[in-house]
Amino acid sequence: MYSKQTELKNASGLHARPASEFVAMAKQFESKLTVQRLDDEAALPANAKSIIKILAQGLSVGTPIEIAADGPDEVEAVEKLYELVESKFGED
Amino acid sequence: MRILKGNPVSRGIALGKVYIYKAFKADVHESYFEAGKEDEFYKKYQDAVKTAEKELDSIITSMTGESPEKAKIFTAHVEILMDEEVEEGVKEMIYESRTMPDYAVDEIYTHFANLLEKAKDPLIAARAADLRDVRNRVLRILKGEKESNLSSLRENVIIVAHDLLPSDTATMDRNRVMGIITEVGGATSHTAIIARSYKIPALLGVADATAIMSNGDNVIMDALTGKVLLDPERETIKEYQEKLVEYIKEERETSQYLDKIPLVASGERFSVGLNVGNTDPDESYKYVDFVGLLRTEFVYMGSEHLPTEQEQFEAYRRVLANAMGNPVTLRTLDIGGDKTLRYMVMPKEDNPFLGNRALRFCLVHIDMFKTQLRAALRASAFGPLQIMFPMVGTMDDIRAAKAVVEQVKQDLRTEGIAFDEKIHVGIMIEIPSIGMIADMAAKEVDFASVGTNDLTQYLHAVDRMNPAIADYYQSMSPSMFRMLGRIFAEFNKAGKSISVCGELAGDHLGALVMFGLGLRKFSMNAANIGRVKRTLSLFTLEEAVNIAKNVQNLSSEAEVIAYVKAEVEKRS
Repeated sequence: MYSKQTELKNASGLHARPASEFVAMAKQFESKLTVQRLDDEAALPANAKSIIKILAQGLSVGTPIEIAADGPDEVEAVEKLYELVESKFGED
Repeated sequence: MRILKGNPVSRGIALGKVYIYKAFKADVHESYFEAGKEDEFYKKYQDAVKTAEKELDSIITSMTGESPEKAKIFTAHVEILMDEEVEEGVKEMIYESRTMPDYAVDEIYTHFANLLEKAKDPLIAARAADLRDVRNRVLRILKGEKESNLSSLRENVIIVAHDLLPSDTATMDRNRVMGIITEVGGATSHTAIIARSYKIPALLGVADATAIMSNGDNVIMDALTGKVLLDPERETIKEYQEKLVEYIKEERETSQYLDKIPLVASGERFSVGLNVGNTDPDESYKYVDFVGLLRTEFVYMGSEHLPTEQEQFEAYRRVLANAMGNPVTLRTLDIGGDKTLRYMVMPKEDNPFLGNRALRFCLVHIDMFKTQLRAALRASAFGPLQIMFPMVGTMDDIRAAKAVVEQVKQDLRTEGIAFDEKIHVGIMIEIPSIGMIADMAAKEVDFASVGTNDLTQYLHAVDRMNPAIADYYQSMSPSMFRMLGRIFAEFNKAGKSISVCGELAGDHLGALVMFGLGLRKFSMNAANIGRVKRTLSLFTLEEAVNIAKNVQNLSSEAEVIAYVKAEVEKRS
């Protein structure tokens, strides 16, 4: 199990294209991957490989999240997704 | 002739033949199969998914060249189709409880669609339509039926449907669709957004439209006022043909002005702002210099509970993002009287418009007011935001409201929460009593914006909700322009920003007179931007000043309108 916390920095949050990119990248890894919002106690970890679950989280700019992975490539998976969030998905 | 009513979500007029579009409607019942056939039924589902993927791929290929934007809708459909959670949900229902594939698909997709629909962000909630769309595709394939869509229409038609799904509108032959009428949907629905972007007139929420109308019926759809005229008489058709020509001509002339810098003929610059009441991105933001009115009621009225600080903060920040760096004027809650909240008990009043509404209401519900101010102040750290109070009648009102802002600022400072320390605070001028002391008010606030609808109502003592006295509601009266001239002059003299965000700013005739009276900031609904920019561009400053002077000495609203209209027509 490996995890990292950050917050969404791109203006449009994890919607539309950024959400698709995020899920597409998650699917490249074998590990079980989740995203959990940290500002809502009732929120459950969502499957990072499911576009529907990611959208349903309603992650907008400024939302603190934790990316977690469990499996053979867990460290690389979390680091790659973390970098993608940090890169603001190419938005300014 | 029969008339049906609907919600005009995309403006325009269309005359033509009805085409009833009945999309595949799945008839799914709860049903199960006997043990031992799990693999067989799961394979059926997998085959349906493969066929669906093929269909989607071929749509994507055919669209990628000419309309990559539309192709994206179908790329998103492939993502949904291949979603891991959907896949596992269906598989589990087939293997664990021997559910028939169609019922499993319906259950799983509906469950997720409902989940997305609950999202606070309207853009995410709108994605539920995509899920239902993919569900229908899979169910149709499971039933062995062929794809049907609106891509090959033989003649120009007005589409009448219960509802249109993203795949219907994306594959629709736009050149043949004159108008869209559906039984369900509102201004922010998928169909509405698409219709506006294609500039196809659309009337939604027309009850029983598919039952009342039949293929080939001749109808007129008036998506300016929200009517469908069935079986129109010859004179009506002729009247609407003329209206259509007029409408097209005007649209063409004004749309060219949308993205122009707003200038009058002698070169003076004025500013055009947008009035908004939701968090949807809209291309109109590109054509304006500011958001002169952010109505915040949507946050309260669209909710089942009192919106939290966080919910409001996120909504305000989204509007700031939409505004792309342009200043946004947030009007604090304008509720009470006739506008009520279902989760709050509000006493009934005899004269709600003269009652405990807007700022008056907020000052007695101070916790609610503070929550909104905290959300607004926090959002101000993320973009140029200013706060405006509605229903201000006295200097005491201004001071009381400002004191609450100061308290909230102090709380935020203590908690170390960021906000814009130099945030501007201003008022709506809509009660004549504050207009009469505009000079004093100008010293106490950073800016003001005139709400001409309420100002007309209060200046003329006309309840604007009462149709029996509609003729008494005269926003272009000489009294209005004398009052407005006074307010603009006092604010200009004090060097404080003054704008108008009422309907009169979006009325090209009203805007012209107000420019002559010294106003430079006009905030309006998106539909009026081109027209106001165009009309003002026809006049020099001197001409506008003269017109403004003259209208104040005319004796009735009718004379004012006739005079200003004639001046505009002379130059058109």
